Amino acid sequence: MMKIKKSTATKSIILTLALIFLYLPIMTLVVYSFNDSKMVTIWTSFSFKWYGVLIEDSAIIKALVTSLTIAVMAAATSVIIGTMAAFVMVRIHSFTGESAFMLFMTAPMVLPEVVTGLALLLLYVTLGDFIPAFADRGIAAIWFAHVTFCSAYATVVIRSRFLELDTSIEEAAKDLGAGPLKVFFAVMLPSLMPAEVAAFLLSFTMSMDDVVITSFIAGPESTTLPMLIFSSIRRGLSPEINALASIIIFVASIGTFIGWLSLVRKQKRIAADVAKANAEAKAEREKILLGSIRS
Amino acid sequence: MPVSSLNASQALIRRKLNLTPRKKRKAEVRNMVRHQNTWRERVLILVPYIWMILFFLMPFLIIFKISLSVTEIAIPPYSPIVTFEDGAMQIILHLENYSFIFTDEDGTYLRSYLKSLEVASFSTVLCLLIGYPIAWALSKCSTVTRNIMFMLLIMPSWTSLVVRVYAWMALLKRDGLINDVLMTIGVIDHPIHMLQTDFAVYVGIVYCYLPYMVLPLFTALLKVDYNLIEAAYDLGCKPVRTFFSVLVPQTKSGIIAGSMLVFIPALGEYLIPELLGGKGSILIGRILWQEFFNNRDWPLASAVAIVMLTILAIPIVIFFKSQRASREKV
Amino acid sequence: MENEQQQAVNAAVPQDPLSGDNKIQTNAKNAHRPGDLPGQKASPAEQHKKPILEISELTKKYDSFTAVDGVDLTVYEGEIFALLGSSGCGKSTLLRMLAGFESPTSGTITLDGKNIIDQPPYKRTINMMFQSYALFPNMTVRQNIAFGLKQEKLPRNVINERVEKMLKLVHMEDYVDRRPHQLSGGQRQRVALARSLAKEPRLLLLDEPMGALDKKLREQMRLELVDIINSVGVTCLMVTHDQEEAMTMADRIAIMDRGEFVQVGGPREIYENPNCRFSAEFIGSVNLFDCSLISSNQKQSLIHTDDFAKPIELEHDLDLADGMPLSIALRPEKIYISKTPDDNGPSNCCDGIVENIAYLGDISIYYVRLPSGRLVSSTLPNVDRFKTGLPIWDDHVYLSWDPESCIALTI
Repeated sequence: MMKIKKSTATKSIILTLALIFLYLPIMTLVVYSFNDSKMVTIWTSFSFKWYGVLIEDSAIIKALVTSLTIAVMAAATSVIIGTMAAFVMVRIHSFTGESAFMLFMTAPMVLPEVVTGLALLLLYVTLGDFIPAFADRGIAAIWFAHVTFCSAYATVVIRSRFLELDTSIEEAAKDLGAGPLKVFFAVMLPSLMPAEVAAFLLSFTMSMDDVVITSFIAGPESTTLPMLIFSSIRRGLSPEINALASIIIFVASIGTFIGWLSLVRKQKRIAADVAKANAEAKAEREKILLGSIRS
Repeated sequence: MPVSSLNASQALIRRKLNLTPRKKRKAEVRNMVRHQNTWRERVLILVPYIWMILFFLMPFLIIFKISLSVTEIAIPPYSPIVTFEDGAMQIILHLENYSFIFTDEDGTYLRSYLKSLEVASFSTVLCLLIGYPIAWALSKCSTVTRNIMFMLLIMPSWTSLVVRVYAWMALLKRDGLINDVLMTIGVIDHPIHMLQTDFAVYVGIVYCYLPYMVLPLFTALLKVDYNLIEAAYDLGCKPVRTFFSVLVPQTKSGIIAGSMLVFIPALGEYLIPELLGGKGSILIGRILWQEFFNNRDWPLASAVAIVMLTILAIPIVIFFKSQRASREKV
Repeated sequence: MENEQQQAVNAAVPQDPLSGDNKIQTNAKNAHRPGDLPGQKASPAEQHKKPILEISELTKKYDSFTAVDGVDLTVYEGEIFALLGSSGCGKSTLLRMLAGFESPTSGTITLDGKNIIDQPPYKRTINMMFQSYALFPNMTVRQNIAFGLKQEKLPRNVINERVEKMLKLVHMEDYVDRRPHQLSGGQRQRVALARSLAKEPRLLLLDEPMGALDKKLREQMRLELVDIINSVGVTCLMVTHDQEEAMTMADRIAIMDRGEFVQVGGPREIYENPNCRFSAEFIGSVNLFDCSLISSNQKQSLIHTDDFAKPIELEHDLDLADGMPLSIALRPEKIYISKTPDDNGPSNCCDGIVENIAYLGDISIYYVRLPSGRLVSSTLPNVDRFKTGLPIWDDHVYLSWDPESCIALTI
């Protein structure tokens, strides 16, 4: 008994310390965003002042729009490419250049951002003579760059779900007369949907957050939100950035929470359904058994 | 034994020894393994493939090419490798950038590589020491608590990295919250200088990369067969020894994966040392950034990148091998 | 190799082309032929039914491994045919080749006279019920059953009508709008069956149909499944590793081992007339004795074995030279056990000590140690609840059997 209590206490202490470590900095930041003073670290009085300043700041709004546009496009493209790559990895075996394919699809995850950023910039400079979209290094250039590393993550997420799919379900669809495309869209895609959504959200966040790669490739006309924050905090702390950071934290947390909640709810519902079906089946069997005894 | 059965047994022996002509057999095997891909499959393979060749392989070939040229005041700012003079093609490869990295009088580059390795290794160990207990506690929770705790541990990583680093800047400042609190309770008289030190860099890296360590450890710990630990206790093994001889081997794949997931990005990290580190924390990522943006020496930056990739090759290979091994085990 | 050796033994007798027969054939009138057995299910092969599926020389090789090795098979209209074998014997590969999920290395598959080797699975008029049932998790029961019909682009009212008919057939009318995870194992199986029958296939494939059910439910579903299949009248080919399942459900069974058919026949024929040691040992339990032929004439054959003091006597001749080795198979339930030597005559008997008794409720198995050291099993049905005087441990007992109970097999 003593031992069990001790381990429960240790467990709680560890987790509490971990949560304090993870949340203390973020909470402080949020609290100080409501500080009236221009000095970030000295508390004067509660105010929404800096949120007002934020809305007025056209540079930030413009950067936000740019970031959102790029993130949506990059996430959508990454999910499509990621699904294709995951399909190839899981369902199509043995083709020429298979190991190179695996390498290309996973390597962008493990390379330092500075290297990837530099490499992509040099590519754009080299290709700029032929393709104007690369030369001015605008939204399209950033979009392609983000897809390159986001699709690697999307592939991992979708692939792991793909591996769980029951091949016999696809075979059943084929057996019942569905062609390859029909099999994918009618049977496989619905089962992959949670992973597709997760991959989209992950890609979206990664694209929204990226500073280093974007700093390398972005031309003067296209500044993203994190680039703006970065260049601003390099100059020092500012309460306006506190407000902006708080909004980002808030949106990200709400997003994570909703995603988590829907996942848990779904699991619970399925578990309840399964329990109900089993109970019903048991009752039914007992009825049959009773009937056969009576007769 | 009847004659016919003798023939049959000979055929059997022949089959066992694989006495069919080797060439033919190879062709057969190839036909069986490499089935003809349909056009749909080819499209599926080619789209991601071409994308990655265009935006991933090509850039690296270009980096490599440019690392072999020298900087020039031109657009783009480096010397061409291939030139045409009097109708003859000339290829000039410059190795100066590489020799400069290794023989620079100040030793800036070598020192920053070593510094990067030091910071990355030390933060990996720190993450492991902090992350293992967290992962263990998480794996021991009931399903409901585990779900909630898991979400809480992951949530900060969905927030922008810049924002998380910024939060620490505010805490570690000379007049930041930590110094304030410590002075108020009277632990210290003067504020400690924390921001722009190596300490701040470690805090930042551990803070940002801890989830990458906890996740694989947690997955590995969930799969641990706790009967083995009870068996070890039953056989008289003390807790510490049990930990190292039973638990650690069972979670080896998680330890390797987690360590590599921290070590690899930490080695090339730019943002954290730039924002939290001082003049001493010149990591290789910052050097590359400086060469590129401040000195506009693209060839040297490329050479720095190529050397960095060479260093990273070893941990990356370890990471992929451990991933494949754990996948095959499942 | 077995085939060739065995052909040498009974070259004189024309063989049933379906079974690579390893049993020593007999010429006498009182020989036990499959058709003669009382109560045997009429084998459709002998009836006027026409073949629906013909497989010839079908082979599937993987890198260094031959999964299916030159199999020939004819399945007749309306029968339930079972492929029985342990895991890895090639039965599933054979089934998957029929469905079109694996392409054979060589050989032909003919359905209704047409070679279907090059047809993709979605064009074959063969449907399959999967072991895991493979119901589409995102669709309701109704949508699952209608899926195959929608692929044929049938008009909506035809689809609805057919779905209703199928729901009624499997008694799932009350569950139309449920999703697979809201169904129990037995209900899922019925939906899977309805889905594969909805397209009115020429041939229905069942892959381990009871594999995903628990033991109690299995026995009930076996008969229910046969009833449904028979009421539809579809030809059915099933794969199973469970001999009880194959015996209950199938009209004919093929025992498979290492990619080849060992024996093909009705359940009774396979049990009572195994054609080789593998068949005899695979189905039920059996005592096998290594013997040699003493003499054989029109009326009787005398056989010697080192395990018994007295010879084994058969009431027919064997097509084998004197002194040649052979095996005798004896099923445990066909060996009488007694505490007195009254029944023992000059042949077909032996004696020993009871070493072990397994009381199974319905029957008891006696393990008797012979003087030769050989252990023989014999079963006794427990008919009388309070019967006394049964042999117990260490009793000296006498075993005997009828001449027609012995099955002579080549080594």
